Amino acid sequence: MDTDPLVAVHQVSFSREGRPIFQGLHLNVAPGSVTAIIGGSGTGKTTLLNLIGGRLHPDAGEVRVAGETVSSLSRKGLFALRKRMGMLFQSNALLTDLDAYENVAFPMREHTQLPEALIHHLVLMKLELVGLRGARRSYPGELSGGMARRVALARAIALDPMMVMYDEPFAGLDPISMGVIVKLIRDLNDALGMTSIIVTHDVAEACTIADYMYLLGDGHVIAEGTPAEMQKTSAPDVRQFMAGLPDGPVAFHYPAAEYLTDLKAVGGL
Amino acid sequence: MSVIGWGIDVIRRLGQRAIDGVGRLGRATFFLGRVAPSLGLILGRFRLIVQQLYMTGVLTLIIILVSGAFVGMILALQGYNTLVRYDAQSSLGLLVALSLTRELGPVLAALLFAGRAGSALTAEIGLMKTTEQLAGMEMMAVDPLFRVVAPRFWAGWIAVPLLAMIFTAVGIIGAYVVAVGDLGLDGGVFWSQMQSGVSVTNDVLGGLIKSIVFGFVISWIAVFEGYDAKPTSEGVSRATTRTVVSSSLAILGLDFIMTAFMLRGL
Amino acid sequence: MKNVEFAVGLFVVAGLLALAMLALKVGNVHVLGNGASYSVTADFTNIGSLKPEAPVTVAGVRVGQVAHIAVDPVSYRAVVTLNILDKYRFPIDSSASIVTAGLLGEQYISLDPGGSQRNLKNGDKIQVTQSAIILEQIISQLLYSKAGHS
Repeated sequence: MDTDPLVAVHQVSFSREGRPIFQGLHLNVAPGSVTAIIGGSGTGKTTLLNLIGGRLHPDAGEVRVAGETVSSLSRKGLFALRKRMGMLFQSNALLTDLDAYENVAFPMREHTQLPEALIHHLVLMKLELVGLRGARRSYPGELSGGMARRVALARAIALDPMMVMYDEPFAGLDPISMGVIVKLIRDLNDALGMTSIIVTHDVAEACTIADYMYLLGDGHVIAEGTPAEMQKTSAPDVRQFMAGLPDGPVAFHYPAAEYLTDLKAVGGL
Repeated sequence: MSVIGWGIDVIRRLGQRAIDGVGRLGRATFFLGRVAPSLGLILGRFRLIVQQLYMTGVLTLIIILVSGAFVGMILALQGYNTLVRYDAQSSLGLLVALSLTRELGPVLAALLFAGRAGSALTAEIGLMKTTEQLAGMEMMAVDPLFRVVAPRFWAGWIAVPLLAMIFTAVGIIGAYVVAVGDLGLDGGVFWSQMQSGVSVTNDVLGGLIKSIVFGFVISWIAVFEGYDAKPTSEGVSRATTRTVVSSSLAILGLDFIMTAFMLRGL
Repeated sequence: MKNVEFAVGLFVVAGLLALAMLALKVGNVHVLGNGASYSVTADFTNIGSLKPEAPVTVAGVRVGQVAHIAVDPVSYRAVVTLNILDKYRFPIDSSASIVTAGLLGEQYISLDPGGSQRNLKNGDKIQVTQSAIILEQIISQLLYSKAGHS
């Protein structure tokens, strides 16, 4: 990579409640790119976003965003950095007591002293980008899953951040909504000159929009490359994930005692 | 299991609960230390408190008005029934006023508030945590302690003394209606006896101080339990229950302590 | 939001009005607030359960209140300071007695005006007093006198 990475995760180790999640995790996100981080459930993809966003601190190693070490920032510095990051939660995390318009206006009202007329323009602009200008008076509970995610996306880009992190943006959507979100992520990234980090287990969608991909497993990166490179690889563990095979290096069975012994152990309560 | 084993188990669990309790108290104190200094900041955005005053105060008003009136009317009936045996029914107004200003007004208003608004505060904050709304705010560089918790804490604290005063006043009016309208007491005697026996500094102010303390404790417990809730539906439901139970016990316990101090102080 | 603000405003006003009612209508702040008063003292051998802020009445009309109760270190009698509203003036030979409202009611001071031309003024002492009637003493006297007769 010839440019300085916007996000650099450097030899990060992290464990939660004694269970190691990352060991020597190392990856870079180039500015202006759409980077997909894929991996099975429970490989710590969301944890990675929390490390980048400074909600968690690594046990070892460091996470640098735009040249700043996230874990060593003061609360004020961290909040200043977060104003330049957008995040789309898997649950959307929309404020349920505010309608779509107010949800998008929320970060603007909290962080700027803009006059109401300007906020009105900006909010409608963001909602127009995601195609929901007409639904601005709907509350999150009244929106379909796909629409709620688009509102959340509009809110994530409300302050024109330098980067947006997407936590499972395709999960739980019907094919049409999914197609809309896929297109939006790519278009917004290019039109607004942002950097996007997508955490997902939807390999097919990730391949269609990502510039670069990382496959996580066992607490570190087990494969990386462009989507084309990833699909051509012959390493069995990568193949299993990319093709979605039920059994392979990642076993179907969760580690357990021998089946017969377990069955015989009745009454061992 | 043997009796000794069972005994050891009971003691062990007791110890575990004690450790948990102290841990919670420590976390709650730490939490308060982070919320309370936000007063200066929040005053700059008074609108947030006004909105929460509506949710906690105005919406609790109906239950306070109805309960206050009924408690006053019941006190009048019961008090009259006892006083008339000693030919002291002229003191009915005094009896009702003292009971309400010193004890029943602050305590019952606080208990009703804990059940109506305290539990709602906990559930709301707990659900915001469960649905990642608090995490979402944090990622938008908005401190949920300032934006969500502090306005609710301050509004709850302000609402309780106001509600207690309203409860007491409505109760006395309810007692007046029963005493004069139904029991045939003289209205002038009702008020003058009351005025001669109720001390503003000891009784009215004492009740006000109690309700301010109750307001602080309920709001603190309610927002802490919500913020500390496990982000699951079971966690939120447990936290809501804990808010009502802990604040009710705290109200009664503190009431006893404060009453003891105030009576000694006379 | 406008309605919310209005409702909250009403709520706060209602709370403050309730407090005002408790202070003025239920409590007795208004006696102190009703302009100037002058104070006189009266000695009693026994005040019973008289308390500060108990009313001072003349012919059943409230004219002031008990300000302060102390014990005279020499005579060991109770010294009660009465605050009487300025608009009421009473002869210097008036008498003060501690009476009970009803059988078990609050105790208060009743003034019985005398016939002197001179009036009580600030710092004066009421000479003629009648102490509180202690129910237990009356009952025991009654029993003893009954016993004496039979």
